[in-house]
Amino acid sequence: MTIFPRWLVLLVVCAALVLSAPLAGAPALADETCNSPYMANLIKGQEDYVYVWTLGKAGLGDGSDKLVTLDVNPGSPRYGTVIHKVSVGGRGEAHHMGFTDDRRFLWAGGLDDSRIVVFDVGTDPAKPRIVKRITDMPKRTGYVGPHTFYALPGRMLVQGLSNARDKGGVTGMALYSNKGDLITTYAMPTADGGDGYGYDIAINPQKNALLTSSFTGWTNYMMSLGKLVQDAEAMKRFGGTMVVWDLKAMKPGKVLPVPGAPLEIRWSLKDGDNWAITATALTSKLWLVRPAAGGEWEAREVATIGDPAKIPLPVDISIRNDGTGLWVNTFMDGKTRYFDLANPEQPRQTYEKVTGKQVNMISQSWDGTRVYISSSLLANWDKSGADDEQFVRAFKWDGKELTPAFEVDFYKEKLGRAHHMKFGTRATRAAYPAAPLASTR
Amino acid sequence: MRRRAVGAAAGAIACLALAATGWGHGDEARDQPPPTRADFTPPAAGSYTLQAIMRAPAGTVVDLDGRDRRLAELTTGKITLLSFVYTRCSDAWGCPLAYRVFDAVAAAVERSPELRSRVRLVTLSFDPRHDTPAVMRQYAGEQAARGIDWRFLTTRSERALAPLLEGFGQDVRIPAAAGPAAAGPLTHLLKVFLIDPRGVVREIYSTAYLYPEVVVADIETLRLERAGRATTP
Repeated sequence: MTIFPRWLVLLVVCAALVLSAPLAGAPALADETCNSPYMANLIKGQEDYVYVWTLGKAGLGDGSDKLVTLDVNPGSPRYGTVIHKVSVGGRGEAHHMGFTDDRRFLWAGGLDDSRIVVFDVGTDPAKPRIVKRITDMPKRTGYVGPHTFYALPGRMLVQGLSNARDKGGVTGMALYSNKGDLITTYAMPTADGGDGYGYDIAINPQKNALLTSSFTGWTNYMMSLGKLVQDAEAMKRFGGTMVVWDLKAMKPGKVLPVPGAPLEIRWSLKDGDNWAITATALTSKLWLVRPAAGGEWEAREVATIGDPAKIPLPVDISIRNDGTGLWVNTFMDGKTRYFDLANPEQPRQTYEKVTGKQVNMISQSWDGTRVYISSSLLANWDKSGADDEQFVRAFKWDGKELTPAFEVDFYKEKLGRAHHMKFGTRATRAAYPAAPLASTR
Repeated sequence: MRRRAVGAAAGAIACLALAATGWGHGDEARDQPPPTRADFTPPAAGSYTLQAIMRAPAGTVVDLDGRDRRLAELTTGKITLLSFVYTRCSDAWGCPLAYRVFDAVAAAVERSPELRSRVRLVTLSFDPRHDTPAVMRQYAGEQAARGIDWRFLTTRSERALAPLLEGFGQDVRIPAAAGPAAAGPLTHLLKVFLIDPRGVVREIYSTAYLYPEVVVADIETLRLERAGRATTP
């Protein structure tokens, strides 16, 4: 596992600077255009709710991780407000979520405690409730830090970030049934150039291709940022690969060198397109993954995000439904950037705006006219003092300008740190109310 | 491909079978028929392992003659391909797609001496108010008399259906503002279940991955597994 000496030097030099203001490189996965292709009922009109997986903060409210429901339908009298919250009890580094294929259940994970909480969002989408907790993932799988929750038909594929043995970055994926029973595990490849690290999952069923990316292990993502950037050995322990898997066989295929911790992966959803894009946290680049002329998968650096020397730290991306544009959030400078992807070989930045003192996740509506931004990266990596804003901010996007729509202050509301967002709808209800909806025990 | 007998009736009412929005397909793409072939070559049968996902649930169903049958009798003993449908569905990406794929799989099974006696197809309605045995017989058309084991089933009531939906994890929903379920379209995620002779679900397909050649390769993989020539999970 290598990281560029230049980077290391840069980071160490900047250590004093970031002691009070965090570095990033983590988490994201979001919105309607980024859901699993196996998921039903994409919301292509107005979303009614935004579910926010929120890290608890000691001394704030009940201090617990919680799922917060925001009403985001402009036609509702409760528009732009918190309408529900479910605490899970304790703090486990709440991070990412993913719907089951039928969108009735929302799985949410903790990077520290490795617990998975399953919420029923199908029975009453305005009031999610806990229906199952999976607490034995490390014991049963050997992996810790459940990160990406990616729906397969009737199953949930969970990407770990770390392992129970040494809590480093070598990890794997765990496959569960929708009922929460462990089916099997898949180790990230460590041969043929593989570094064994994991982060995101994205599938293109038409090509039988599953792509994975790579971040870092528990010992790094749970370390305070100031300490981490001064630890030269720790800074070497970041992922630098993506892997193309044979989806049907669930076997790793080609390992693609993508240095600098490639994070979120987004396939273009445009019919006929056959490419995916990712952003590298440490090197601040966009990389394109597509078959080369001979048909072999390859990854190529295609754009720079901001000034890498200033460590902008891209932490989340969101692609338009037609693959023509990409939002990129950079944590350190609090900027939201838009890249024109008309030619994915040459992404071109056309817009940027400071949307917060620290910004992390970004989710757009299917039609791209509404954009939601949250603030928290990781509990130990968020900024401090006045820069530690915690919010969800909604914007309207007309193709030229992001215009504020509403904001929920997660500290003022005594909720915690706002991280991952998913959309909800009240468009449907169970056809047979007598039938138990909760297929999750 | 043979045509089913109730096409006209099925087309009468729109189906909101929002079968997982196909990969790369927006609403406009759903106006087009779904692709008939995979855009990749499936791995060779027996070269991969189909995991044991869950046990097929128990329950009571009704056959075309109106007789009660234990579902377990029809999900064990053979390799079984099972799909929930409702006959009023007309979305090309929903139940008709399942029907079309089943038809293609049936043709492949018929051609294979190794598979012909080892494979069963099951089409099970989740609309018991409308889909009586008589309606299911009409829906089956010539298929029920085909030279392979293809069962068309329904249930006596929503009460009898509930444990099957619950056990398979098959959702059925209606628009929030809709009236009684039987009167309007049903929203569901198209799922097709491949069940081994022990009654264990080994693969689940939804629209984005439902191709006859993939299904046939999986069936062949289970056959090879039984013969000790493929890896068991």
